[in-house]
Amino acid sequence: MSNRLFRRLSGGLALVSLGLCLAAPVVFFLGRISEGTYKRAFLLSSIAWFVLATARARADKDGPSGR
Amino acid sequence: MSSRWTRLTAAMDRLYEFDREPVTPDKLQSGGKFAGLFAGEHVAATEFVIGAFFVLHGVGARDLLLGLLLGNLLAVLSWTFICAPIAVRTRLTLYWYLRKIAGPGVTFVYNIANAFLYCVLAGAMISVSATAVGILFGVPVPGLDAVLPTSVGWVLITVALGAAFTTMAVLGFSKLSRFAEVASPWIFVVFIAGAVAMLPRLGVSPDLGNLWDVARARVWNGVAAAGQEQFGFWHVLSFAWFCNLAMHVGLSDMALFRYARKWTYGLFSAFGMYPGHMLAWISSGIMVAAIGREMHPGLMAYEAAGVAGVAGVLLAGWTTANPTLYRAGLALQTITSNWPRWKITLIAGGATTVLACFPVFFLKLLDYVAIYGLILMPVGAIVFAEHWVFPLLKIEQYRAEKRGWTFNASALAVWLGTLAICFSLPLHLYFRWLPGWFIAMISYTALMAWRRVR
Repeated sequence: MSNRLFRRLSGGLALVSLGLCLAAPVVFFLGRISEGTYKRAFLLSSIAWFVLATARARADKDGPSGR
Repeated sequence: MSSRWTRLTAAMDRLYEFDREPVTPDKLQSGGKFAGLFAGEHVAATEFVIGAFFVLHGVGARDLLLGLLLGNLLAVLSWTFICAPIAVRTRLTLYWYLRKIAGPGVTFVYNIANAFLYCVLAGAMISVSATAVGILFGVPVPGLDAVLPTSVGWVLITVALGAAFTTMAVLGFSKLSRFAEVASPWIFVVFIAGAVAMLPRLGVSPDLGNLWDVARARVWNGVAAAGQEQFGFWHVLSFAWFCNLAMHVGLSDMALFRYARKWTYGLFSAFGMYPGHMLAWISSGIMVAAIGREMHPGLMAYEAAGVAGVAGVLLAGWTTANPTLYRAGLALQTITSNWPRWKITLIAGGATTVLACFPVFFLKLLDYVAIYGLILMPVGAIVFAEHWVFPLLKIEQYRAEKRGWTFNASALAVWLGTLAICFSLPLHLYFRWLPGWFIAMISYTALMAWRRVR
């Protein structure tokens, strides 16, 4: 996978995981999920954010490949 | 004595050598960078405390919203009309501009004052993080009136956290800064998610129909907690305005805005004030109300977002204490010029850790923020006068630089005199800085005009 594609993919997925972090409490507030489910979802989405955003930041630091 | 000052000045100049020259046009940054920088910088661990204290001080819901809207607007305008124009015209940091105006001696005193104030601020951030770790070990958080450490467990946790934060700051400031860039959007989300998740506990219905009623009755109900001073609209407005006083009116953000293409980039500070300060303070207010108005940032975040919330408080403290420790170390390095950076960061970290053990600094954070801004504000007024007022009145600028003064006695006298007057003014602490700014600006102009005539 080229660095550029990796950056786009990890960046996009990082944003999705941050969106899930925000969506989880909203769904809990609307009464669709329990408090325990919300907190688990929030924790997992948070871990995903840190993994993906860090990967994206490292790819940025390494610079574009394939040149 | 003079040779000692010469050595200190030379050491200080070497430290700041990298930004001695005005920023060149090819180094200017886009507006988006400023928006991102402000959005990331103004969601710190201390926001958990500030918003919660507005609730404990009995602010009403309407007063809070109006006060935050207008106070943050005044802060944005201060960056835009006071700080950014001077930075864009000079392209210098406050350090170098103040050196031209007040001489290296006054700049040295400013650095040391700044270093001490930074250490206290970083200490408060460590204390906030300690409330999160304390949950894991069942350590009680000190009561609202606590000044000294209240338990051995509290001391052990703050010392352990202080040691960890300091070690990491010593080992790799730049890596931590990159990590902070990753963490800051998530920390902001922790505030928002925590507030939304606490709404059902406060009785807000899913259609939000009773949101305003709940906000007025159960969150910002206008009733101060026992022993807490009653706050109103003007307190909130003033606090939101002066919360970053040292940065805008005090001009220390010249370091950022010298990279701006236009002075109007000051408006990008709104990205820090509204999504950052305003929403984060509202969120922490909702969280503290939902846990029964207990000043316990760790418990607030744990109840609102579980383990991730605890991690949020810990990371918010860590990522914001790290640059604060770095800045304190940089400022202190001026008096220990031959020491390596790691050693001075260790000293600053040690002092910060000791301060963090005293809960008074985070439990009186609002007052401390006011004092912090007040102490550095006169320097901003002096620079403002020299930059804008002197040319209008045809008073010679930069006499300290031209005549080689180590101390511009007028600047030092105005700084200390303004502080003496401010601390004796019969006003609430939050309202003293504004007359103080005019006192400093006018008296400095008058003194320098008088020196010209003489």
